[in-house]
Amino acid sequence: MDLTLLADPVFLAQNIVDGAARGALYAVYAMGFTLIFGVLDIINLAHAATFTWCAFAGWLVMAQLHLPLPAGLIVSMAAGAGIAVLLELLAFRPLRRTGSDRLSSMISSIGASLIMVSIAEAVFGVETRRFPDSALDPRPFLLGGAGGLRVSRAQILIVAAAAVLALALGFFIRRTRMGKAIRAIAANLRASRLLGIDVDGVVVITFVIAGALAGAAGILVGLLSNNIAPGMGAQIELRGLAVVILGGMGNIEGAVLGGLILGLVETFAIAYLPGGSDIKDAVAFLILFLILLVRPNGLLGRKSAVDA
Amino acid sequence: MNRAGLRRFLPGAITLLILAADAFISVRNHADLDRLLINGILALSAFATLHARMLSLANAGFMAIGAYASAILSVKAGLPVTLSFPAALAICGIVAVLIGLPVLRLTDVYLAICTLGFGEVVRILIVLLPGLTGGPTGANLSTGFPYEAMRRVDTGMIAVFLAMLVYLFWTMAPSKTGRAFRAIRERPQAASTMGIDIVAYRSLAFVMSALIAGAAGAFYAHSVGSLDNGDFRFTRAVDILGYAVLGGSGQWFGPLLGAGLLTALPILLRDSLGASIGFLRSFAQLPNILTGLGLVLVIVFLPGGLAHVFRAQVTARRPHALPPGRTGEGHAVPGPGVARPAPGTSALLSVKGLGRVFGGVEALSGVSLEFDEGGVYGLIGPNGAGKTTFINLVSGLSAPDSGTITWRGREIQGHRAHEIARAGIARTFQGVRLFDEMSVLENVVVGHHSRVHTNLASTWLRLPRETREEKAAMNEAAVLLARLGLSDLAGRPAGALSYGDQRRVEIARALALDPRLLLLDEPAAGMNDAETASLGSFLLELKRRGYTLIVVEHHMDLIMGVCDRIDVLNFGRLIAQGTPAEIAGNEQVLEAYLGREEG
Repeated sequence: MDLTLLADPVFLAQNIVDGAARGALYAVYAMGFTLIFGVLDIINLAHAATFTWCAFAGWLVMAQLHLPLPAGLIVSMAAGAGIAVLLELLAFRPLRRTGSDRLSSMISSIGASLIMVSIAEAVFGVETRRFPDSALDPRPFLLGGAGGLRVSRAQILIVAAAAVLALALGFFIRRTRMGKAIRAIAANLRASRLLGIDVDGVVVITFVIAGALAGAAGILVGLLSNNIAPGMGAQIELRGLAVVILGGMGNIEGAVLGGLILGLVETFAIAYLPGGSDIKDAVAFLILFLILLVRPNGLLGRKSAVDA
Repeated sequence: MNRAGLRRFLPGAITLLILAADAFISVRNHADLDRLLINGILALSAFATLHARMLSLANAGFMAIGAYASAILSVKAGLPVTLSFPAALAICGIVAVLIGLPVLRLTDVYLAICTLGFGEVVRILIVLLPGLTGGPTGANLSTGFPYEAMRRVDTGMIAVFLAMLVYLFWTMAPSKTGRAFRAIRERPQAASTMGIDIVAYRSLAFVMSALIAGAAGAFYAHSVGSLDNGDFRFTRAVDILGYAVLGGSGQWFGPLLGAGLLTALPILLRDSLGASIGFLRSFAQLPNILTGLGLVLVIVFLPGGLAHVFRAQVTARRPHALPPGRTGEGHAVPGPGVARPAPGTSALLSVKGLGRVFGGVEALSGVSLEFDEGGVYGLIGPNGAGKTTFINLVSGLSAPDSGTITWRGREIQGHRAHEIARAGIARTFQGVRLFDEMSVLENVVVGHHSRVHTNLASTWLRLPRETREEKAAMNEAAVLLARLGLSDLAGRPAGALSYGDQRRVEIARALALDPRLLLLDEPAAGMNDAETASLGSFLLELKRRGYTLIVVEHHMDLIMGVCDRIDVLNFGRLIAQGTPAEIAGNEQVLEAYLGREEG
């Protein structure tokens, strides 16, 4: 470890900024993932594939049709919502009908994910795509001159978008009638149905929200790393799982907190540890493993992890 | 081999025939045949975990460890394959224990998540240790893994290994271990109340799976002759899962069938269609899409997998001929080895200040009760009064938030269900939880779990002990079934029985534990008057035999007819206690309970 780096306040601040942006991104991705688990007990491993397709939707709109970023964002979120609803209708709802357990829905989502990623490979090829520079000015703001803090527009946008999305989701779940229905289903699906809640309708809305969040994450990743490829889902899949377990499965505030923690830890590992950039992919797993070891319900846990 | 054995063997024989046909048609060279066999081994590694209701995605990771470990040890350290192979397996086993320790006590999804991450980490490590592994581009000629040195196995060795695995799984299926796995797969909670240590068996399954995947990896390394970490990506884990799910994870031959199909189909496509249809050739993703489609379609429409086609006869062992003179009505129900508690000792079971809270609601609060040996106790109360919660706490399916449970002088609150079952407390469930796919006889034999002294070694080596113990358990189970009038149903799958019969099988299964205390949660639910009356006399016979009973029931005739004492719960609290006559006249009880029951 380079001790002079520790003493450098600009370097420290830079890593906090980078880590927060990275973490905000993980949070947006994980919120949709944890929402589905919290409501339906489904580990949707096709969330990453949804995210991948959304990034490509955004790429088509911005790089091929040359439309501006807001259009890309809207199309991407709409695509995510549409894909998520398809998943619900084709891969999850039939299983709910037969009363299958959650391993079945997990396996079903793995199958769906494989189909989606394979089609993406067939359609787009394996090479990496980029959003056009016209989407968002890639030049960073420099605070404190040339050697100072660099904050990119993408980073600002990501943090702002994450905050807006998290607050909006929180408001929606807590304050609206539909949000109340979603919470009722999360508490007890059968009782909700008996009480006259249109369970299937509410579940579709839940998937729309989760898919839209995956869509937003797809665009934000594209802006931050500028690296769009069919395999990009694999990068975020494990991180999303680590974030969700860190925060507590099904816990939306937990997803935000867990996302920020993972983003910061990864960034600091890269910056301060020798060979850090090599192990950054393993950081998520280490966190996941440690949290399962010491606190399986996560930091803000809700659902019980331990078998009765 | 008798007819029953033949019938059991038939599905496997058909599967092997199909596999052989597959191989004959599609295999043009040894590489393809090796792949077919290795994928068969991988399929069994997925089976080992799925069979115990665990979704592990670590197979690709363990395969990588096995492959690299054996390659490094043989090529770089110069060990013969006969040493590098077991050493690679040992490494896989150690890693499996380390990974499994924190995860296997958690619910199912956590294992899946953790193992998914594990697979990725293994690949990262391979990339990070280029000196050892050849780095990201893999172990090839240039990095010290010469092809000629790597090619150390031939198809025959792989085939022999696969055949050995088949033998192990085939003989395990009807053994104590196989029954425990199948019980866990169908109903984990009920399995634990049969004295089965779920965490132990899941650990065993996970380690078995890791060893098998590691073996497949070692064969893979020495068959392909070069290594690339890309061979062990998540897609590989999904492929392996695909074999087991598509073929069906209920019986061992299902995954083999799945592996055969999913391996041979792409080869067939490549060899026969690919040449003529350029589109298919260029469409490299087709096999993956087919696997993905297969996973979704099979899970949705055919949860048992393709092997379900053969399910007419499950691996269930046919009942042995019942020994003469040991069948029929009037035969002794084995008593609980009546050793009365030493004089002066207190009640058989006593609970003090028992409390349990669910999400802010006190399901049970400050309940104190004593139960003496040999009594029949009724536990009644309106819905939601806390009766089932009480049963769950005593049987160890959930732990109390407050209070103590003392069983024969020893505090047992918070002990795990299988420990409590072995200590002599058996239970039935409100909604009947039989192992539906097992035969009635096997269900009861599961109850003998902790008294059958066999293990995998005795199973695999066919020791005399195996036959003796199994036969003894089968005979005892048959006697129990006879006493409950269920002999005719012994060979039927439990799931196919009528509700009333299922209840009786469940009681037989609980009695098979040889308990002192029997907790019956609504045993008469779904029974007609005649069945209820016969249940009542059966309960009284159990009492005569020395069993202690706690009966939760809404059926008042039954409760009034058999109980020595009735305890009444309402909103988690004890509101009354007394003889049936006292309770029948108790105003508070009438108001809380009987008064609201119409009729």
